[in-house]
Amino acid sequence: MRYDKADVSRELEKIPWFKEIERKHLQRISDISHLRHVRAGEILFREGDQEDYLYIVIEGRVALDIFIPHRGKIRIFTAEPWDLFGWSSVIPNIYQRTAGAVAVVDGLVVGIDSAKLREACDADHDLGYLVMRRLSNIVASRLLVTRLQLIDMFASPEDKNAK
Amino acid sequence: MTMLATEIVRTHADLLLEPHWAEIKSIIPEAADIATYWIRFVDSDEQEAFRFEPGQFNMLYLPGFGESAISISSDPQDHEKIGHTVRFVGNVTRAVSRLKVGDIVSLRGPFGSHWPMKEMEGKDVFIACGGIGLPPLRPALYHIIQNRDKYGKVTLLYGARTSGDLMFPKEYEDWRKAGIDVEVTVDRGDANWNGRVGVVPMWFYQFRIDPHKTTILTCGPEIMIRFVIFEAMARRVPLDRIYVSLERNMKCGQGSCGHCQLGPYFICKEGPVFRFDELQSFFNVEEF
Repeated sequence: MRYDKADVSRELEKIPWFKEIERKHLQRISDISHLRHVRAGEILFREGDQEDYLYIVIEGRVALDIFIPHRGKIRIFTAEPWDLFGWSSVIPNIYQRTAGAVAVVDGLVVGIDSAKLREACDADHDLGYLVMRRLSNIVASRLLVTRLQLIDMFASPEDKNAK
Repeated sequence: MTMLATEIVRTHADLLLEPHWAEIKSIIPEAADIATYWIRFVDSDEQEAFRFEPGQFNMLYLPGFGESAISISSDPQDHEKIGHTVRFVGNVTRAVSRLKVGDIVSLRGPFGSHWPMKEMEGKDVFIACGGIGLPPLRPALYHIIQNRDKYGKVTLLYGARTSGDLMFPKEYEDWRKAGIDVEVTVDRGDANWNGRVGVVPMWFYQFRIDPHKTTILTCGPEIMIRFVIFEAMARRVPLDRIYVSLERNMKCGQGSCGHCQLGPYFICKEGPVFRFDELQSFFNVEEF
């Protein structure tokens, strides 16, 4: 299915965060975004790929996984509707994907061109501040999740399975 | 009839101190090091008379090993048997793990406070729990299902370390059919797990919680409870509508020995279920 710019704007407007930003900023982001239908099992990117897009889930569920030799792929996070993933592509000093992303059910995602988003943020610092503030919230939330996963909170002191 | 001064007057408290023999009728493995023991009192009158409220616990006694507080995980309306979901982590529960169907144990109880089933009527209920925190909430789920029209929107958000650690997975579909929104997440998934990966508190944002009409029930690792409360407070849920079930080193079940003291409370007596506004000043104190 092909989507035009109006479809992209319409989907972005449904996301609570985009309701808070100015029309011109929404339009700027919409101009550098595309909609992508994904099927269950479809890989959006792999670990080590070059960074290209920042994604927002509109429908469905996307899993992020890391390959561990001799153990296979471990799912570390799932993104649900309105969740954002691939955020490191907007950070200028990370140049490759640190995890893979696979759709676990059919869905729809918005892909925002990371390089163009960085350029837009550099050119308009008001937009840059809004984007970076939003990313900070995302990173803080992921950091908390990672901490709780890291401490293995379901383990008891005598648990032989504890990490 | 005149009672002699020396005659022993049996009170409810005496009955709670007295062990009652019970037989293990079946054992259902739930996850690694966790199983549900279905038990019946040897005396059928005792079995018939046994009643409990969702959230309460029994003291399970094994001669030669001691006692352990085990929450009741079965249906309060099932008077045929009592379910206890046990995690094998201490001396007593490790001894329990060696028991077989037909073995005899001793029970005292039920003890402690319970989930506010009556107070929640007419309200939405949001249950956020993790790991072995689901068993003490299962009786509340059964109660809600049996009285579904008395409650508003009911959501169960449940997390475990992995999909293999999820408790009672075969029941989720029945609970969904009974009108409960069952949402599950795991800390770590493998390539075959298509459900959510993440921790319980982080998923709050996915649900529409009306702070004016929602009661939160939470049980699980205390670190999880802390962040569940954080998320509930961020959504302006009043502290007196957040209920927490705590686990401590419970020994007597009567508030007499002091092992389970938390501030001014004995978890075995005033707890294990607390309204959070009663606990708040003690909850985030380091090493408390």
